[in-house]
Amino acid sequence: MKKARYILASLFIAALLMSFIPSSDKKDIGTLALQFNHLFNNDPLVFGKEYKNVHGEKFTVKTLNYFISNIRITYKDGSEYVVPQDSSYFLIRQSDAASQKIQLNNLPKGKCTSVSFMIGVDSARNTMDVSKRTGTLDVAGAAKGMYWAWNSGYIFLKFEGKSSVIPDSLSNNFYYHIGGFGGFKSSTINNIRTQTFDFPKPVSIRNNSPVVTINVDMAKLFQHKTDILLSKNSNVMWGELSVKISENYAAGFSLGNIDY
Amino acid sequence: MMKNRKLFLVFILLAIITTSSFIVMHDLKPLQIQIPSNFPPPVYDLSINPVTEEGFELGRKLFYEPILSRDSNVSCGSCHQQSAAFIQAGHDFSHGVDNQHGRRNALPIFNALFYKTFFWDGGVHNLDMVPVNPIENRIEMDEKMDHVLSKLNNSSNYRSLFKQAFKVDSITSKEFLQAFSQFMSAMISANSRYDKYVRKEGEILTAEELHGLTIFEEKCRSCHATDLFTDGSYRNNGITNDFRFDKGRQEVTLNEGDKGKFKVPTLRNIEYTAPYMHNGSLETLEEVLNHYTNGIKPSDTVDSVFRKKDGSLGIELTDSEKKNLIAFLKTLSDKEFIHNSIFSEY
Repeated sequence: MKKARYILASLFIAALLMSFIPSSDKKDIGTLALQFNHLFNNDPLVFGKEYKNVHGEKFTVKTLNYFISNIRITYKDGSEYVVPQDSSYFLIRQSDAASQKIQLNNLPKGKCTSVSFMIGVDSARNTMDVSKRTGTLDVAGAAKGMYWAWNSGYIFLKFEGKSSVIPDSLSNNFYYHIGGFGGFKSSTINNIRTQTFDFPKPVSIRNNSPVVTINVDMAKLFQHKTDILLSKNSNVMWGELSVKISENYAAGFSLGNIDY
Repeated sequence: MMKNRKLFLVFILLAIITTSSFIVMHDLKPLQIQIPSNFPPPVYDLSINPVTEEGFELGRKLFYEPILSRDSNVSCGSCHQQSAAFIQAGHDFSHGVDNQHGRRNALPIFNALFYKTFFWDGGVHNLDMVPVNPIENRIEMDEKMDHVLSKLNNSSNYRSLFKQAFKVDSITSKEFLQAFSQFMSAMISANSRYDKYVRKEGEILTAEELHGLTIFEEKCRSCHATDLFTDGSYRNNGITNDFRFDKGRQEVTLNEGDKGKFKVPTLRNIEYTAPYMHNGSLETLEEVLNHYTNGIKPSDTVDSVFRKKDGSLGIELTDSEKKNLIAFLKTLSDKEFIHNSIFSEY
């Protein structure tokens, strides 16, 4: 009888302790970091510094924010690691160096061959109820200024600054606020851009902490498929031209160094 | 033996404490939302944000709270007045901060639980995100969400109300917007004479009203569909053909074919919601019907339902049919709803 009680009690304590241990075995998982590196024509992007775009227009930058979401890592055996939906939204800001490094934990060990992500926020999340808009998607928190209230949806990328080619009447300011997830019920412009980068040689997830650098060269915003001139289009938000701009800046994302 | 028994009791106690801490405290009073039997199923997911008395009360308080606006002069209730079935009585365009005018007539906000999209242009597609629009609109409340939350977080009264309703110590957009959705979810208007007639609750309509209903079924129902009295679509009803200042649905879809289209509004409580149309340009129901018989302005996107066989625009209605239609439309008035004190400011 006495013995039985002890066994029962010990079993209970054991069960209690077990419940605090994460179910997956720590030994089989590792980490990978994505470091976003902001550039203009291969020079580091710095707020307030004067740059010249391909059209010869001089300007300074005061804001660069964008969403990275739905990150997927492909393995050599063809399997895929998808960052869980609810923790899959990252807001990268030039003003906050810590935000530029995305640390992915819980990656299965193995050899990774590519990474893929969205620049923007997927359409499903753009229409969800507020309980799915916490953390980086909180419109009164991290996502302040990155959400359109009248045409409900997240601003995927915000690039702002000043240029003397823009008239004084506009305070020399330029604003590129790019969003648009394709529409709810009726279709409209879709500025979600997905980029996939194959690693030159597989990145091993072991006990190391590999860091993959993604270069983001904003010079492309002004010229890739379409020429964008500050003197002509200094204020682009909701509209057809935003599609050209998202095509342009998406091309500015490229694979940089990999710290294996 | 005694010592062991004590030890055993300690284990049991520990077990109870640990398990109970994982169970959510269910001490909130649920508020039953009755879905009227003549309505389609709700769109808003009440299982994610169940309505409680505490949450509803808080939503009601926020609805009438002027500190939600920049100058603390405008609340949601300023432009959505209960006596006018939650539109702004006598105003073609809503008045916002600094007495600025909006460019569209306020829409009634009852039965929001059943809608897929919101506002005249359908720019918002989840009930939770609706309040952000007027709060941040420069000519409505001209505030910023984070600033509204900091004002609320600075109020010990609001902090304690949010703690009661949502078990949180600090207020975030999630609880703030869920409180609004709880209030709006409970705002169901479904007790007009028409409702009691179709649900066979002992109400009888007059011969005139019944004739009006027959005409309505024949000539209006294709757009003002279901017992929500809207099909939720966007249409150009020819109220104007000058779209320079308001392109309607096109502003959201960027589609040329949506120029001048606006959401088909519900006709419930129409007796109380003058003026009519997105631009508030018509004062009376007689003017509204005259518009449909011979006032439709032609444009590229004007709805094809108005096209008659001879190619002209309009709905054929005789004077006596108009009279009967208006008699019917007035059976959609829900007096219980507009006088229900649970939705009132005080």
